[in-house]
Amino acid sequence: MYSSQVTSTHDPQLLKGVLSLLLLQLLAQRESYGYELVQRLHEIGLSDISDGTVYPALARLERESRVSARLVSSHSGPARKYYRPTEAGYAALAEGVTGWLAFIEIANPVLSQPIPNQPAPPTEEV
Amino acid sequence: MTETLTLTLKDRMRIERAVWTLDSYLRNLPRKSRIAKRRELRVNLRAASADVGAHEALRRLGNLRTMAAEYVVAEYGGPGPSWIVTTYFLIAAFYFMFWLSNARIDAFRSGAIAANPHLTGVFHVTGVAYVLTNDTLTFANGKMTEIGGTLLPLVYVCIFALAVLAGRLWRVVPALRHRRSLGVSNG
Repeated sequence: MYSSQVTSTHDPQLLKGVLSLLLLQLLAQRESYGYELVQRLHEIGLSDISDGTVYPALARLERESRVSARLVSSHSGPARKYYRPTEAGYAALAEGVTGWLAFIEIANPVLSQPIPNQPAPPTEEV
Repeated sequence: MTETLTLTLKDRMRIERAVWTLDSYLRNLPRKSRIAKRRELRVNLRAASADVGAHEALRRLGNLRTMAAEYVVAEYGGPGPSWIVTTYFLIAAFYFMFWLSNARIDAFRSGAIAANPHLTGVFHVTGVAYVLTNDTLTFANGKMTEIGGTLLPLVYVCIFALAVLAGRLWRVVPALRHRRSLGVSNG
């Protein structure tokens, strides 16, 4: 598990783009219910993600038939809804991961360069 | 330690308040879906409260309106249908059409009575093609009775079609089809 050092710096829009992938990957690793998934996201360092973002994202994945759900009785309260990826979910995950890795392969070399203090003048300037 | 031991009555009440507040924002979702979401949120909030306390669990939930909006998008793949807009539209449209129909006859009656306060006789007022039937107005010593002047079926069809558009009701269909294909998984 990663530490929680990289917190409260995540662009919510950026996170939204990969949240589905993260959820599918975590669910592929282990069936989980809503709050457990939130805890697992916190454990990997996304401690500023709100529970209210994760639960609708799960509902969306279920509507898209990328995850299936089943109720599992709990000794500490009412039955919990556990999610796991469907075949379509695994396919979407594989495709998404490929796309994401290709994207960061392009973006990372650019973004990892030091930030200049000011932009260089245009190349056409005399 | 189990949730039962951890959660106080106050915590449970706060959780219920959040659950039902969210439910009130989900009024455009089908009943079954709302019930499923209430159940799931309650379970998650209880687990979170047992973990970090009810206050923190509710804080982490964020804005309930935003959450509800995301649930609606999750359900319908975009802005969902609005039954309230549909209802308001139907009320306004029928009120307007009946008002228009009555205003027409009232104008005729006012003119006729102004000309002769003790008017007696039968008058025929032509309707509006595809909108209103013809009217037969019977005056007896200035008192009027009316037969006809009802809205034609095309008006009802148009109003209901516009109500469907106004409330985006077509968005119900894919969601229903999807739920049917999944079977009753949410209970």
